[in-house]
Amino acid sequence: MVSVKFEQVTKFLGQSRAVDRLTVEIKPGELFFLLGPSGCGKTTALRLVAGFYIPDEGKIFLEERDQSRVPPHKRNTGMVFQNYALWPHMDVWNNVAYGLKMRRVADDEKKQRVAHALETVHMEKYADRLPNQLSGGQQQRVALARALVIEPDVILLDEPLSNLDAKLRIEMRAQIKEIHRKIGRTMIYVTHDQAEALSMADRIAVMHRGRVIQVGTPRQLYTHAESAFVAEFIGGTNLLPGILDERGELLTVRTPLGVIRASNGATRIACGDSVLCSVRPESVRLQPLEGAASALLNQWTGEVQSIMYLGDSEQYTLRLADGTLVRAVDYNPSARRAEVGERIFLQVDPRDVVVLPQEERGD
Amino acid sequence: MTSWLKRYDLSPTTAGLLLFLWIFFIAFMLYPLGFVFSHAFFTAEGFSLVYFKLMMTSPNYTAILANSINLGLTVTLFTTLLSLPLAFLLVRYDFPGKALLNGLILIPLVLPPFVGAIGMRQLLARFGSVNLLLLQMGVIDQPLDWLGGGFAGVVVLEVLHLYPIMYLNLAAALANVDPSLEEAARNMGANGFKLFRTVTFPLILPGYFAGAIIVFIWAFTDLGTPLVFEYRELVAVQIFNMVTDLHQNPMGYALVVAVIVITLVFFYVSKRLIGGKGYAMLGRGHVGSVVRPASAPLTLLIYAIVLGISAIALIPHLGVLLTSLTARWFLTVLPAEYTFKFYQEIFVHDLTLLSIKNSLFLSSLSTVIDVVLGVAIAYLLTRKRVPGRDLLDTLAMLPLALPGLVMAFGYVAAFSATSLDARINPFPLLVIAYAVRRLPYMVRAAYAGFQQTSIALEEAAMNLGASPMKTLYQITFPLVFANLVAGAVLCFSFAMLEVSDSLILALKEQHYPITKAIYALLKRIADGPYIASAMGMLGLILLAASLFFASRFFGRRMGELFRA
Repeated sequence: MVSVKFEQVTKFLGQSRAVDRLTVEIKPGELFFLLGPSGCGKTTALRLVAGFYIPDEGKIFLEERDQSRVPPHKRNTGMVFQNYALWPHMDVWNNVAYGLKMRRVADDEKKQRVAHALETVHMEKYADRLPNQLSGGQQQRVALARALVIEPDVILLDEPLSNLDAKLRIEMRAQIKEIHRKIGRTMIYVTHDQAEALSMADRIAVMHRGRVIQVGTPRQLYTHAESAFVAEFIGGTNLLPGILDERGELLTVRTPLGVIRASNGATRIACGDSVLCSVRPESVRLQPLEGAASALLNQWTGEVQSIMYLGDSEQYTLRLADGTLVRAVDYNPSARRAEVGERIFLQVDPRDVVVLPQEERGD
Repeated sequence: MTSWLKRYDLSPTTAGLLLFLWIFFIAFMLYPLGFVFSHAFFTAEGFSLVYFKLMMTSPNYTAILANSINLGLTVTLFTTLLSLPLAFLLVRYDFPGKALLNGLILIPLVLPPFVGAIGMRQLLARFGSVNLLLLQMGVIDQPLDWLGGGFAGVVVLEVLHLYPIMYLNLAAALANVDPSLEEAARNMGANGFKLFRTVTFPLILPGYFAGAIIVFIWAFTDLGTPLVFEYRELVAVQIFNMVTDLHQNPMGYALVVAVIVITLVFFYVSKRLIGGKGYAMLGRGHVGSVVRPASAPLTLLIYAIVLGISAIALIPHLGVLLTSLTARWFLTVLPAEYTFKFYQEIFVHDLTLLSIKNSLFLSSLSTVIDVVLGVAIAYLLTRKRVPGRDLLDTLAMLPLALPGLVMAFGYVAAFSATSLDARINPFPLLVIAYAVRRLPYMVRAAYAGFQQTSIALEEAAMNLGASPMKTLYQITFPLVFANLVAGAVLCFSFAMLEVSDSLILALKEQHYPITKAIYALLKRIADGPYIASAMGMLGLILLAASLFFASRFFGRRMGELFRA
């Protein structure tokens, strides 16, 4: 098991800094995710580990060895490409065996290892097929076997599930996680799909504009986002602007809607700062106007603007008194809480509010 | 029967069009070929292999066949050696002036080798410029035999003419290799030559063979170049000489059949070698390309290679240019005096003036036929389900693989003593021969146009009330117009400089097209070669201009026009 370390790594692609002074450490044996919107530099970071790019500044370490200038074929990383990159002129067996041939592995051992790798991904029956004769999911598994069979120091996965249909994608999440558990090798996994990251990762680095914004476990990122970008990107959230008034047991934020109380706040904010209150849609409670307890903390009235029924949930968009739009989700909905145009109470528990620094949007 | 018909789109118009195309192909492709085959295998006494027995037992014929195959293979080998590094450097590296060099590489394509042969003769003859220069410098004391009895001269000219075709195919194949396939190999530990041998080369093989087979057939059956060099030991030249007395000597039929069979064998072998199909590349990963910026020394090296090769490729044609401007050139390295009078003479000389008129007339007419047939075929192939679709496709593309020599020979033989007899008036057959020869270019151009134009655009028009015909005129044609123009320009200019058809079909001076006039002039003593050179230069300029024009439309896809 090998650790991977980025130390102040910068990579220019054309004029732009695709990766910008990136520093992050991936622990041995971890299933580590690089998560971010397209163009955030996550794939560039992965290709830096594989050696397809050489850093313009900074260093990349595998197990404390500086690998920044080692060419790709000497790195011993196993990469699963987004489009699988199976060689169309070789059958499955030869695709998987290729890395072992390059390593001059003896015939007997090679056969046994290829067979084992194909078994691991449940593709042993397809060894003599050509890639063009396989479905997308099967190609994906062959690509995975090809990366596994060389027993690489680190396995790199570049959006491996993005070309699969939704159902297969969810099946493969479990399979890849299972494979990771079995072989216990370090894996770096690039995706823009936050659900994939949350459901699979040991830890996630959220990237934006070439930099890591926050690193943490899925739970930490979801419940304790430290920036509006992370809160919005992971799971989606409502952001209510205001000024931080007081940091007591609860944080008090003055907003056009009135005072919002929160029990969580980012560390780098101080009283008087402009802040954003992050409220997850699923923590917004909806109650009819009549018969509800009044004078609760963080309670407002709003008018229902639109409703979307999704089966397992129902999503409401509400307009508050000052015009702010707030999204709310009702899980396992049994009946409508209100119809479009009706007024309704919204209430948020202070434990579900996170106060975040207001960032320059242009950052 | 009716259920079988229902699987197709057969409106009366479509059916009529299809019927017309079939009649055309049967009359002007299948019938002449069948005629040649039947005369090769049937004598007055019935089926017989006597001609083939003669061909295989006579050392004369076997030597000539072997010689032609040898020529084809040698030319293919040298074009490969020349173009593979070129393609690699120009596809994989970025450097200032890349587009310019790319264009430079293609220039030899517009220099018909049989015109270049005129200049080559002037430069490399026993008392040509090169020998005189070397004698003057004291490097040699006896003139050297550069042309090696003709074979070497033919090889050099054909290699210098054909390497761009190979280059276009290899470059397209290389550019088409998904970069992640090579990255995956490097990730697995391959690099350098190992990477090339195990991944890159197998992936470009289909593209390579598509180009190689064209180059082979071209060199194997080229008629103009060996004729200019007066090199007779080739099957193409032998067939040419037999056209005039087919009735006395039916060996010509057998030789043509041999050419077809050899062509087919090479075609089949090359298709077998690539497993009969290209590899469908997988969808591209989102990381762009493997094009790297070239370092300064490498840029310099690339420039040196490309400029060097281009300079060498241009030498024969420089010779043509000099010859066309020569007032006096005898036993000197360069002409002693220059003049423009031969360019003027082109337009007063009966033979030349008439031949230009003939060529313009014939090429225009054949281009019109190409446009009509090409659009019709491409339309049926892309937009309709018609019975025999694959066969139609094959027939339309067949002229790429079928030597012009074979077709011309078939025409002369099959239509003699009919109203199309070439000996009485070759114009109808010349027009058809030109049209058939260049039809694949037009079909490809139109096909590409139709394919790039989404059917949804046509459906939108019909949805808003346009009839199918109106849609065709108002939506489809305007959208594919650029492709059609480019295709037509190519057809026209290639027809203007078509060699084998013109040499074989035009028998009387009043019917000579440009190329045959050039050939006739070459044989004339006195000012013949000079006027021929001036004509050659005019032809060059025409072809260069139109290929330049066409390449602006096709851009990168230019290579697709020159593949089998």
